[in-house]
Amino acid sequence: MHISEGVLSAPVLVTGALLAAGGVAIGLKKMDYEKIPEVAVLSSAFFVASLIHVPIGPSSVHLILNGLLGILLGWMAFPSILVALTLHAVLFQFGGLTSLGVNTVTMATPGVIAYYLFNMPIRKGNNIVSAVSGFAAGVTGVGIGAILVAIALISTGESFLGVAKLIVVAHIPVMVIEGIITAFCVIFLKKVKPEILEVGK
Amino acid sequence: MKKFKIQNSGFKLIPGVVTFLFLLLVSSTVFAHKVSVYAYAEDGKVFAEGYFSDGTRTRNSLIEVFDAKTGKKLLEGKTDNDGKFSFKIPKVTSLKLVLHASMGHRNDYTLDEEEVKEAMGIQESGVRSQESGVKGRKTESKLQSTAPLTANSGVSSSEIEAIVGRTIDRKLQPVITILLKLQENSEKPGITEILGGIGYIIGLMGLVMYFKSRR
Repeated sequence: MHISEGVLSAPVLVTGALLAAGGVAIGLKKMDYEKIPEVAVLSSAFFVASLIHVPIGPSSVHLILNGLLGILLGWMAFPSILVALTLHAVLFQFGGLTSLGVNTVTMATPGVIAYYLFNMPIRKGNNIVSAVSGFAAGVTGVGIGAILVAIALISTGESFLGVAKLIVVAHIPVMVIEGIITAFCVIFLKKVKPEILEVGK
Repeated sequence: MKKFKIQNSGFKLIPGVVTFLFLLLVSSTVFAHKVSVYAYAEDGKVFAEGYFSDGTRTRNSLIEVFDAKTGKKLLEGKTDNDGKFSFKIPKVTSLKLVLHASMGHRNDYTLDEEEVKEAMGIQESGVRSQESGVKGRKTESKLQSTAPLTANSGVSSSEIEAIVGRTIDRKLQPVITILLKLQENSEKPGITEILGGIGYIIGLMGLVMYFKSRR
């Protein structure tokens, strides 16, 4: 879900950049010293996840993991994702430098939403509640991400409408896969290292 | 502005859904991040190919062709199931091909004027040698200077040109395929880049920790 260079119009790009800057600022403010390695590790995970292609049917799907990042990092998902997306743009020419802001917003915002909705039930609930919440967080991450990408595309011109609708439904398989992966990660982390789920502040 | 657009999109929901269903039927849905387009000119035609970074072809994607100098749109077309699209050269100039794949993916490729000219030159010779029933191929003005020599042996220069051209084309076909493959592979992220990226993240982490610890 990287939007390429030269697709979006200037107002959308600027709005995206401003929103991303705000999110990153909040994220950096919330970042404790102990949390820094975790942010970096998850940034790496996000960076690599986009390269893992899961062959499903006629299309090829890649992991995003923004739901997982959101649950574990909260607002810190913004700087984490920004770093990974910058490297995507520079090293692989995925997305682009001008669309960096928009892409950061479309990927990190769903993570933050997933954090507010599901972090608490994952920490406090029993295993089943945690697993279901983890699954829901994964679905939310991709689903809302797809909707945000669609909005970014729609607001650039009517001709994108069909394509923008397509993107939402086309991501349904990714949502399910992400949900399962996130649920497993959450259960595992809760057993092995429950304090990692505390985002703090 | 966004809000207005969202409401607007709701208003146009029904045509939108129809479009969506149509797109679902005809287009491939690919989630790769980057799309590439590559083109070469031959025989008065341009052959273009589009593919995603994981090697999947861009099926049914719009390709627009522009005059790279004036920016005027010359023509447009859709790629077939192999991500291929070919068209007759509309104008001898530098051509810019813009590929629009689904979901905000876009890339372009510019064909040099030299290459276009060469391809057009071929077509002219093709017309000339059609009288002899042979489809002409690559010609070089150098070859034409040898015409008096070949005339003595009873074979016309255009026939020789055609034969040589066809042979060269046949021999070069695998090479062109290999070049296309290489080009495609070079667009895929390699292990060096992946590890490099992780290295950057670790370095950045160290940097942030360093500055935070000094406070």
